[in-house]
Amino acid sequence: MISHLLFGNLTLDAIPFHSGIIMGAFAFMMLATFAILFVITYYRKWSYIWYEWVCSVDHKKIGIMYLILGSVMFLRGISDMVLMRAQQAIAAGQYHGYLPADHFDQIFTAHGVIMIFFVAMPFMFGLMNVAIPLQIGARDVAYPYLNSLSFWLTFVGAMICNASLVIGDFAATGWLAYPPLSETYYSPTVGVDYYIMSLQIAGVGTLLAGINFIVTILKMRCPGMTPMKMPIFVWSVLCSMILVVLAFPVLTVTLALLALDRYLGMHFFTDFAGGNVMMYINLIWVWGHPEVYILILPAFGIFSEIVATFSQKTLFGYTTMVWAIGVITFLSFVVWLHHFFTMGAGADVNTFFGIATMVIAIPTGVKIFNWLFTMYKGRIRLTTPMLWVTAFFTTFALGGMTGVMMAIPPVDFQVHNSVFLVAHFHNVIIGGVLFGYFAGFIYWFPKAFGFKLDEKWGKAAFVLWVLGFYVAFMPLYVVGLEGFMRRNDHYSNYYFQPYLIVAALGGGLILLGILCQGIQLIVSFTNRELLRDHTGDPWDGRTLEWSLASPAPLYNFAVIPKVETLDALWAYKQEHLGESIAHLKPQHYAPIHLPKNTPAGCIIAIFAGILGFALVWHMLIPALIGFLGIIGSVIIKSFYFDPEYELDEATIKKTELAHFKEIAECKAIR
Amino acid sequence: MQSNSLTETMHHAEADSNDVFGFWLYILTDCILFATLFATYLVLNYSNPMQSIQLKQYADLHDVLTETFLLLASNFTFCLSILNIYQKKVLKTQFWLILTFILGAGFIFMEVSEFIHFAQEGFRWDVIAHASSFFTLVGTHGLHVSFGLLWILTMIIQLPFIKAQHIAIRRMTYLGLFWNFLDIVWIFVFTIVYLLGAI
Amino acid sequence: MNPHSHSHPDFGTAPKKLSIYLIGFICCILLTLLSFWVVMIGTLSKGLTFTVIYSSACIQFLVQVICFLRLNTQTEQSRTNVMSFIFTIVILIAIIIGSLWIMRNVNANLMI
Repeated sequence: MISHLLFGNLTLDAIPFHSGIIMGAFAFMMLATFAILFVITYYRKWSYIWYEWVCSVDHKKIGIMYLILGSVMFLRGISDMVLMRAQQAIAAGQYHGYLPADHFDQIFTAHGVIMIFFVAMPFMFGLMNVAIPLQIGARDVAYPYLNSLSFWLTFVGAMICNASLVIGDFAATGWLAYPPLSETYYSPTVGVDYYIMSLQIAGVGTLLAGINFIVTILKMRCPGMTPMKMPIFVWSVLCSMILVVLAFPVLTVTLALLALDRYLGMHFFTDFAGGNVMMYINLIWVWGHPEVYILILPAFGIFSEIVATFSQKTLFGYTTMVWAIGVITFLSFVVWLHHFFTMGAGADVNTFFGIATMVIAIPTGVKIFNWLFTMYKGRIRLTTPMLWVTAFFTTFALGGMTGVMMAIPPVDFQVHNSVFLVAHFHNVIIGGVLFGYFAGFIYWFPKAFGFKLDEKWGKAAFVLWVLGFYVAFMPLYVVGLEGFMRRNDHYSNYYFQPYLIVAALGGGLILLGILCQGIQLIVSFTNRELLRDHTGDPWDGRTLEWSLASPAPLYNFAVIPKVETLDALWAYKQEHLGESIAHLKPQHYAPIHLPKNTPAGCIIAIFAGILGFALVWHMLIPALIGFLGIIGSVIIKSFYFDPEYELDEATIKKTELAHFKEIAECKAIR
Repeated sequence: MQSNSLTETMHHAEADSNDVFGFWLYILTDCILFATLFATYLVLNYSNPMQSIQLKQYADLHDVLTETFLLLASNFTFCLSILNIYQKKVLKTQFWLILTFILGAGFIFMEVSEFIHFAQEGFRWDVIAHASSFFTLVGTHGLHVSFGLLWILTMIIQLPFIKAQHIAIRRMTYLGLFWNFLDIVWIFVFTIVYLLGAI
Repeated sequence: MNPHSHSHPDFGTAPKKLSIYLIGFICCILLTLLSFWVVMIGTLSKGLTFTVIYSSACIQFLVQVICFLRLNTQTEQSRTNVMSFIFTIVILIAIIIGSLWIMRNVNANLMI
């Protein structure tokens, strides 16, 4: 009895010893984990990691942790891609390939879940954390402790998803887990429960971060920075977070209802006793469509920053850019049905949503023209971030075009759920979101770490990625039009195989591109002294973050700046061309209030993880411990009434003077 | 030259204002959460009405009216406690908070009894979608109220320990927004679930 | 910038007054009683009953928002609060009405 309350349904049978691939992946993960633990222990860095990173409420560190999480999970998502492409390349005719069907289903589900929730979202929040407070002249985000909590909740959600690899299985339903397949009858294993728990926990983290950044952007801008003088990246993040705040509750409810069906036998989405399967699909896409705009808007913002900086021109049409972002934000809530045109709504409903979907392409077009007009007659520097932008223009435009094609319901009826659809969304996600985040990563890397990334390996990665993308996905457009459906682990018609082999080669090229990115990181780290950013402004930037040292000091700005125009730093530099930096030194330094580090975020997230894992396996006592732990931690934390400390003027002055000295030495060398 | 304490006060005022705004945004996300539950309730009841099991066969509107007044009264007593914290009267604030707690607990007690009664009579969450959506929508509201009760209890215990009045005001403001919001949601619950269901 | 204008935090809510709370409380009681009475006596037509209880709910909503939440448009923060509230309600209505419209269509065609 006690052992059932403690262990629930969890037994040693849950570990899939029979699957070589999974055991191999597990062994690799364990090796990597132990290697890291060994290195930390060897260099005696445990207390450093705990006090400076785990307990950190500093947005700069939290941003870096998000980026690390996204990068590590990216490797898992890419492994899924390699497995799938390899399987589809060989499993033609009678041959069923090397992956059992159920395993293949889990792989494409995990690929989608990981890439969206544990790669793209963390990457986005990482870049936001690194850049936004610096761009608006603030010292931190509005709620530093909640920022830490958001990160750790996302981290725990990812870990639960990782646990599913080795203990039990994952959902085999596709990344959105449609019922009735995801109901208990058709998915009796713990897979869907893992899916629900990891997404719910990560979802809470995302929602809190959304609130955090909205308040930060609306209320913590430096004096003089009116809304229409904010960098466009800030506008795009503001609107993206508005989407987060309005859309994620819908996801929370929908997954909760699915969980209620599975755990308490309710009938929301069962195919009997009054349940309505289509309601799940309706609700999940009410969230799902804004989600893709949540991902793309910050990428658009990054492009605006990079195009302006590397064309050395003010962004063309700032006001129309802002309007376009706002229109996209609103419209993204009235197009969701285009994800299920074929699923039973009538012609009038389909027409409305079809037209709305086509309309949403218009503001996006406005933005693309604005970027092109910014580049026109600019002094363009083709650094790696700028290269990613040029690839984005063509790739994203192509993907958008196929999207507008599918916005026409009769066309969609032909290609819905074929690999034409798969090619379309990878086209826009890779061409738009991923290229944007890669560009942003290289652009802001010096600000976060203090040295630039190696250009040569960056360009190599770029070439392989872009080539790989086209080789991998153009064949999918072709076979999609010819009837090859998605999520097939094998197929009987040999006609498709050559295309899928080409697609697999494309996947291989992408893998090489990722290898180059990995090498780029290692080479850059090894050569970091040569690549050191001494001035804090490695790209001759236009916005406030480049006025600080790299990496930025703990308090960001010693003196909060006052701005008067858009691209405030550029205006300042134009006014003070050739002047010495001596005048930059302020007369007085004042003490600065900073938030204290706290382990609360990590602790609450760990309890949430215990709760989630326990619920998956119906372990009642651990679930209770997790639940009470969360509540108890929140209540205990609330008794700490003074979460701030004061940084003294002397430390600030010392840090600032060291920075000015470094700039002066750098100028002297040149 | 501003004195240090004035700068402190301004710093706190700005921070508190930002904090309450953030909590307001959280309330708005909770609006969307309840809206989704309402949409689900409406779809599962009015697109496929199954005549065999319906709420009106089990619900007693008198009980619902009593619950409504309990919650409404607790909303009012909370407002009174807010007035008192602004005047730094900690004991009176605690008094009105205790009253709020009792009224809110009464609401939860009645609601749980109602749920148990329904389940015993056969109107169970695992029998039919209509019942599932009822228990989930009303139950989610009840869960929110229960968390609110725990929060009120914590606040009653914590208030004497809070030395800085601005912190007490800020935290009471959060709780006030939360508690008021729950009564607003309840308006729609009793209208759409109980009253509409009884017609 | 007037140094004294920022010494009290601006929560975006109107000043809290006992009289307004009492007025709100009594209005809510009356509106609640009206809704319940109309349904419990059952003599009005279905359409009219719907209208009464919906209107009563909407009015009570406004009463609570204005009298208890003290939403107003006097200060900048309060205008931000109201704008975000209205935007949320607009999206909320789009989601609810959109879902009801879609599901009505889907149920008719699929006979779920």
